[in-house]
Amino acid sequence: MPAYDDWNNIDDEEEEELQDASFFEGKRDVILFCIDCSESMHELRDDPTYEDVKTSHLFTALESAMQIQKKKVIVGPNDSVGILLFNTTRPNDTKGRASELKKNSYIYQPIAPISAPTIQELIQLLDAAREDPELLKTTFPPVPGKKMPMGDVFTSCNWVLRDGAPKTASKRIFLVTDNDDPNPGSKQLLTSAKTTLIDLTQAGVQIEPFFIATEEKPFDASKFYSSVLLPNTVNDEEAEDGVLPESISITRIDDLLSQMRFHEVPKRALFSVQFELSKGLVLGIKGYGLVTEQKKGVYKYFVDLGDRMEVAGSRTVYLDESNQAEVDKSKLLFGMELGAVPQDEGSDDEDDLSGSAARAVPLGRRPFYTADEIRSFRTLDLEPTIKLLGFKDKSELAFEDNIKHSIFIFPDEQRYSGSKRTFTALLKSMVAKKKIGLVLALTRRNATPVFCAMLPQEEKAEEGGWNEPSGFHLIPLPFADDIRAAPLDEAFRASDEIRDAARAWIEKLCVKNGTYPPDSYPNPALAFHNAQLQASAFREEFDPESFEDLTRPPLDMIHKRAGNLLKEWKKMLANDESANVVVATTGSKRKADVNVDEAEIRSKHDAGALSKLRVDQLKDFLKSKSQSVSGKKADLIERVGEWLDTHG
Amino acid sequence: MGKTRVVELSPGPNGEERTTKMTNLEWALQYVKLKVQEMIFNGRKTDQCGVILFGSEETDNIISEKSGGYEHVSEYIPIAQPNAGTLAKLDALKPSEVSGDPIDALIVGIETQDVYLAKKKSWTRKIFIITDGENPIEIEDWEATVKKMNALDINVTVVQVKPQTLVRLSTHAINRGVDFDDEEFQFQEDDKSNIKSENEAFYHKLTNALDVGIIGTCAHALQDISRPEVKQVKSSLIGSVIRLGDVDVRPDEAIEVIVRASKCTALARPKSWKKFGHRETDEDAFMEGGDEDEPKAVFAQLKMRTEYYIDRSEQNADEEMKTEEEENEDSELGHKKDDNLEKVEKEQLVKGFKYGSTYAPCPDGQFPRLPTRKGIDICGFFPAKSFRRELSMGEVQYLWADPGTPQQQVALSSIVRAMTDKNVMAIARWVSKDGMDPKMGVLVPRTLDGKIDCLLWVQMPFADDVRKYTFAPLGRLVSKKGEVITKHPYLPTDEQQEAMDSFVDAMDLMDVGDKNEDGTRGQWFDTRLTYNPAIHRTKQALFHSAVVNDIATNPLDPPHPELLIYMDPPKRAVKRARDAVEECKRVFKIKEVPKKAPKTRKDGHVHAQEDDGEELLLDRKAPTRTQPEGMSQITAAANTPAPSKPAADSDSETEDEEEELLLVKKPGPSNHPLPTPARSLSPPVDPGRAPGRIIGSTYPLKDFKKNIAQGDVVTKAVEDLGFVIQEIVMKPFSSRRHKELLECMKALRDVCLKEDEIDAWNVFLRDLKKSCSNDPGNPEFWSEIQKLGRSISLISTPEAAKLGGESDVPENAAEVVSLAYLSKRARIQA
Repeated sequence: MPAYDDWNNIDDEEEEELQDASFFEGKRDVILFCIDCSESMHELRDDPTYEDVKTSHLFTALESAMQIQKKKVIVGPNDSVGILLFNTTRPNDTKGRASELKKNSYIYQPIAPISAPTIQELIQLLDAAREDPELLKTTFPPVPGKKMPMGDVFTSCNWVLRDGAPKTASKRIFLVTDNDDPNPGSKQLLTSAKTTLIDLTQAGVQIEPFFIATEEKPFDASKFYSSVLLPNTVNDEEAEDGVLPESISITRIDDLLSQMRFHEVPKRALFSVQFELSKGLVLGIKGYGLVTEQKKGVYKYFVDLGDRMEVAGSRTVYLDESNQAEVDKSKLLFGMELGAVPQDEGSDDEDDLSGSAARAVPLGRRPFYTADEIRSFRTLDLEPTIKLLGFKDKSELAFEDNIKHSIFIFPDEQRYSGSKRTFTALLKSMVAKKKIGLVLALTRRNATPVFCAMLPQEEKAEEGGWNEPSGFHLIPLPFADDIRAAPLDEAFRASDEIRDAARAWIEKLCVKNGTYPPDSYPNPALAFHNAQLQASAFREEFDPESFEDLTRPPLDMIHKRAGNLLKEWKKMLANDESANVVVATTGSKRKADVNVDEAEIRSKHDAGALSKLRVDQLKDFLKSKSQSVSGKKADLIERVGEWLDTHG
Repeated sequence: MGKTRVVELSPGPNGEERTTKMTNLEWALQYVKLKVQEMIFNGRKTDQCGVILFGSEETDNIISEKSGGYEHVSEYIPIAQPNAGTLAKLDALKPSEVSGDPIDALIVGIETQDVYLAKKKSWTRKIFIITDGENPIEIEDWEATVKKMNALDINVTVVQVKPQTLVRLSTHAINRGVDFDDEEFQFQEDDKSNIKSENEAFYHKLTNALDVGIIGTCAHALQDISRPEVKQVKSSLIGSVIRLGDVDVRPDEAIEVIVRASKCTALARPKSWKKFGHRETDEDAFMEGGDEDEPKAVFAQLKMRTEYYIDRSEQNADEEMKTEEEENEDSELGHKKDDNLEKVEKEQLVKGFKYGSTYAPCPDGQFPRLPTRKGIDICGFFPAKSFRRELSMGEVQYLWADPGTPQQQVALSSIVRAMTDKNVMAIARWVSKDGMDPKMGVLVPRTLDGKIDCLLWVQMPFADDVRKYTFAPLGRLVSKKGEVITKHPYLPTDEQQEAMDSFVDAMDLMDVGDKNEDGTRGQWFDTRLTYNPAIHRTKQALFHSAVVNDIATNPLDPPHPELLIYMDPPKRAVKRARDAVEECKRVFKIKEVPKKAPKTRKDGHVHAQEDDGEELLLDRKAPTRTQPEGMSQITAAANTPAPSKPAADSDSETEDEEEELLLVKKPGPSNHPLPTPARSLSPPVDPGRAPGRIIGSTYPLKDFKKNIAQGDVVTKAVEDLGFVIQEIVMKPFSSRRHKELLECMKALRDVCLKEDEIDAWNVFLRDLKKSCSNDPGNPEFWSEIQKLGRSISLISTPEAAKLGGESDVPENAAEVVSLAYLSKRARIQA
């Protein structure tokens, strides 16, 4: 049997980059949308986006659920989703279900891995409901009069989750309601709701409430929910009294989707380690990846089983090639590549060892390292910890000193009590003194220690109900090994006149108070891929024309604002004396020969005599224009012609 | 050279000093092998070396072949590009009893080298003399030799093997890029000190007379070779173009600047390790051993192969349950599942994507890409002060104007200077090649030494790359009534804030670095002096393993001090902060929260609840209950044909069941605790976790490993696994899971030993024993444990100590526990 410590197998770390992403993909997430279907949710209002269309809160909630499903299916193809409606009289079809649900709750989508058919079904329902606004009301008739006790709702949720959710997944309930006091006046029902909720929490289920408020009907959480909902004890926060649960969010219906988006991926810590401010002064922190490149999914191998396609699993085995023997992973040893097989003439090595490298040592000796030893080389035998080295002025953190994305750290009161106040004091102090921290971070047992700048971040409210959290960003600094020298050290520089001309159009194109806005730039390549993936799964035709790339530069705006100034700048540049300087290329004569004047090439082109030029001359020209130099001479001529045509 | 010496090794796991004995020759050879290894590592065809011995038994060199003399000097390894065989040959060297003259060897070396390099005039020639300096030298005519070496422009390095007591001589770094090695050694008996000091004086004279001559000690040379050195990588200049505006339709008012991109930072990674396995067959070993008599251990370099399989067993059941992750895990768990796996050839497979549980065909492995055009499009500018540094995503690149076109240089320079003046950054979209996926990023202006203007690029996140997690506010707490709270354990008091402020001041690094020319201290820490420990330590380790034969007796030297310079805060700051730290400790009162014992489920709320609650509780328990029930029905049915059988002996009964269960098992997957019928009722398998437990009874081992892998719940996982094992053991008909349980116990013991949960194990084992021998119990299982013997018994003091833990069980008691049961069992049977 393999040793138990397979988990710290050395393999994991060789793909350290990949690990970040797989961490999120590895764990499955289950979301149960629990949507109120009472009268007020059915009430028709003007649609927030489309004119002359009337939709209900329920419609928007269902649509958001659909959008989240579409998004989730891409991010976590193994995730499961379900939709439970409550306060509706629609009966459940009991067949095939393990347990009954509470009265007045209806399971629209049982918990199941997201699949194309279920999403399509929901889309069809929504399309039909847009045509016929009364449809949802007839499909899911609201309970007249008294509302369902919330305790019963939570119980139903519990049953639905228990029936459908995989054991290891993180389970969450997205509760959507506009009713701030579902069971008025009943102390008993309130207690019951609270206790069923405790049950849910202990079963590892989190509630993420989305309370809808309108102008005429604001949502007052203190009426009912603030005493029912608890902080998410399972997740991380502490069951302290007196503090409002952070999870309560009250939104306008228009923001429902974006609010849900914030919670789309369950919050998971990358690591939980000690933060050593000094010897004996230690607090607990958790690290989160707030910025991680979201990559396209990786294709999988499928086997056609006739009736369906099944994913093939893969497994890596290590073989001794000379005798095809498989070596147990736990017995692997590590060492330096042996290089070519020695080609000693006339020695006794020419037997069966040919082809595969091997090393012989006296019996009982071991010239290679074990996995544990390898790990200690990488970690220098440090324990996972973040160690403070000191503080520097904020201005010392250079733009150039970047190599990887940052990690966000937040205090972990559950490991060290007092972490929060210490952390907060440190944060305040550093902000006030305009300092950054310098830390040595080893975040996981298998990682390498790395120096990080610790950038304080104060809480900031932003648009769209999003609050930038307070904490520290750890920015990994490059090692000397990662820094490359500048390959050039001298060039022609612009005169002040041309600089001022450039400044004129830069001013016109500058967004005052602006910054780089990540939210405005969805990854077009990823979206393009996902749109095709969805079309493929829905068995629909993909229309590339309908795809919009939001990252393209705003050309019209640029020309409208700065067109003339740009023209001006170009004119000055053309008249600059540098236009006539030819850089003397040092090197062989032959090289100088290659350097054909652009004007000459252009005249050859106009005369249709580009073919008179040699391949190296063509290539040199193309290279100087940052064009590709691949292909045959005909390709080169064509490319040179194209360039000259577009740059007339 | 045949004398043995004591070599200090890196401290052992418990910090004890360790030493090993080896001959001077072996020690010196480490240096030679490291040099050779470096050549192998770099793998250049123009790095070649050869080895000439002096003091060898035989005489074999090109001069004595022609004209005689030059005895006990032999060309051991002809000049060539070295490989693993070179190292093996060096390993085979043994100290001799004869002596040879180093000057003879030097002359042979010069000649051999000159003949070899006859047509390679431009090669750098180097000679290394490695000697303990205890052999007689005929020093007449040495000036002629020096003249010749200077004429040929040979670099000479003398490496002296010295006893540890001698004071180090002046030392120098050894030149890199070795072209040619002369390796010499000798053994000499009499009158060492005299000869030695004379020789030493001579070597100094020799190296001084040479144009390029260096003398140093082996100890220093060995250390020097592990000094971290940054591998300079020349970045290539990649062509691109910066665009602003619509160059196709409105070219007269659109900009194109031809640029070259090169890396400013690039993540360097440690050299990868190759995997090796011990080859088991002795036949090979003997063949490999060749002319030597002693048997050898052969380690073969392994090749990787990927196998694909589908899991047939899961198909008729709950394939939804099975994720990639679990499949991988299972395969790691061993061959347990192999019976159900069906290997598929790669040719049978088609590429596709998973869209949830739906298959999305995509035979090419990727969909058509977004059409894009090579270049860097500027989208706009924004003030540099609002740049959010933490969003930078990766490596930084330089953008230079085309070095061949002054006009382009002026164009870029004007933009860079204007951006600097206005203190703005640009937002840009970069496409590296036609059809490649675009990236968004920012451009920052830079002027280097006032001589060249360039832009720096760093990638910024797309909307998809930013995760918006919510966190509780830190400095501002709101009560349930919506009021702002000002006093709370989470909020620092004024006193605490003051203590922290002085701590931050004391730990300031801006004035604790080395002194500048004007005598003031500069700041501490410079990225350009930080070495990636993983890269350099790995390289050192790679080299070490290539030159020594046994890691256990000759472990790697400690890391080079330069690798560690920034690992701890500077002493100056630490000293300054001492009072502030004490004050912080006093006022913040940070306490480690003891690892919580699992919360026993509060039953209180059940009563407070309406009927629903109770129902709920029953429901939750249901799955665990159906388990034994379902099984008992089957087994009961199977048992009926033999009702007459005396049921007194509990052992025989269990065995019977085992047999019958084998039959029952067949249709379903072998390792599944639930019989098939029960499962079809509710597809997802219940993990069987009791409330508050993190280990379930369904897949205990898997749950356990998962939790251990997470690392921070070890105590809880250990406790829960123990609990679950007990629970399963005590269930009727547990015998079919005995094997699995033993695996669990092995894993548990292993973890207990390593994670210092030794007491937990010992308590668990004693409890288990008690439960097993009780009635109803499971003596069968206990006897299986005993069969495993010492490896699964109590953890004793010596065993615990080995891993730095503590145990209250003496070694003999650990054995006794196993034995005690034997006697009891004997009694029962009697």
